[in-house]
Amino acid sequence: MGIKFIILVLLLISNNIDGRPISYSGGSTLMMFSDNMKDSIYYHYSPTYKYSVGIEQVKDKYFKESSSYLRLTYLADRKNTQNSQRNLYLQTGLSTNGADDYFYGAHGDWETRRWFVGFGLKKVKKEIVDYSQQYLQMGVAPYLGEYGDLHTWLMIKTKKNSLNNDWSTYPVIKFFKGVSLIEFGYNNKTEWDVNYIYRF
Amino acid sequence: MKLIGVFLFLFSSWAVASDHSNDHMDHSDMMHHSHEGHLHEKLVDGEKLIVNPEKFDKFISGLTNAQVAVVSVKGMVCDFCARGIEKTFQKDKKVKKIDVDLGQGKVLVAFDKGIDINFEDIKKKILANGQNATSIQIVSI
Repeated sequence: MGIKFIILVLLLISNNIDGRPISYSGGSTLMMFSDNMKDSIYYHYSPTYKYSVGIEQVKDKYFKESSSYLRLTYLADRKNTQNSQRNLYLQTGLSTNGADDYFYGAHGDWETRRWFVGFGLKKVKKEIVDYSQQYLQMGVAPYLGEYGDLHTWLMIKTKKNSLNNDWSTYPVIKFFKGVSLIEFGYNNKTEWDVNYIYRF
Repeated sequence: MKLIGVFLFLFSSWAVASDHSNDHMDHSDMMHHSHEGHLHEKLVDGEKLIVNPEKFDKFISGLTNAQVAVVSVKGMVCDFCARGIEKTFQKDKKVKKIDVDLGQGKVLVAFDKGIDINFEDIKKKILANGQNATSIQIVSI
């Protein structure tokens, strides 16, 4: 009941994300994201753990337009150790609005069960203007849960969009249980970031 | 910004302290936990079985005429990794039961006793999820 309610609420209020962008072989992921710049909903399927293909519906709050992107994400590098995993992903998306509307970028992360550090860079090409986005995020898990427990992350995120040319830094809290992950961030400049992932 | 710095410092200090206290708790738990007759105390091929004792005991409870593959896995740092591994093994009809011990980086897979456990097949299944299986120990129940 609880999870269904959260999914329903998020489906109503939100729409894109940059969380972990590739699932296990044969896995599907639904990702929803909302912040001051856009709402998005993104579904992707991973034929192998090396890449995913998906479709993203974006409601752009800055340009006041909607568009759909066909997206491809490729795992360029992964390093597994006993206690950590490091990833580098390359991503691109082609808009159904035309050949002049597309994006490309990279993001990476390193995490243990206790610590997380991630970054992202994205260049967006549009017919009227090009812009870029970048973020850095780091976090700590205040306790170590076992498989199936509720996991909690306390994080700091800083992001910049070249359209408003200003870094915004704010705390983020992330809850993670079973197949669902939800993340909330807030600051007084950009207000709420809401990020939800459901993997199946 | 200062507030964020203080926030990070406090939580990182707490996390490190908590890691140490967990270490102590694990050791003390192990000291107070009765190992007598427990399979997780067994030496398998000359190597001590390193698993969470409570998790292992719970996993094997109810299992009879079975063998458990204890697989060491690198890169298994979150529930999503574990969930993928669980789903992959659940598709294999030879698998009786599966669980993941995130703390020790182990996957526990139970098979019937007569089954020939193929480590290469297990490695492929783990790799399909993007992690690496590095070793296996097989315990008869």
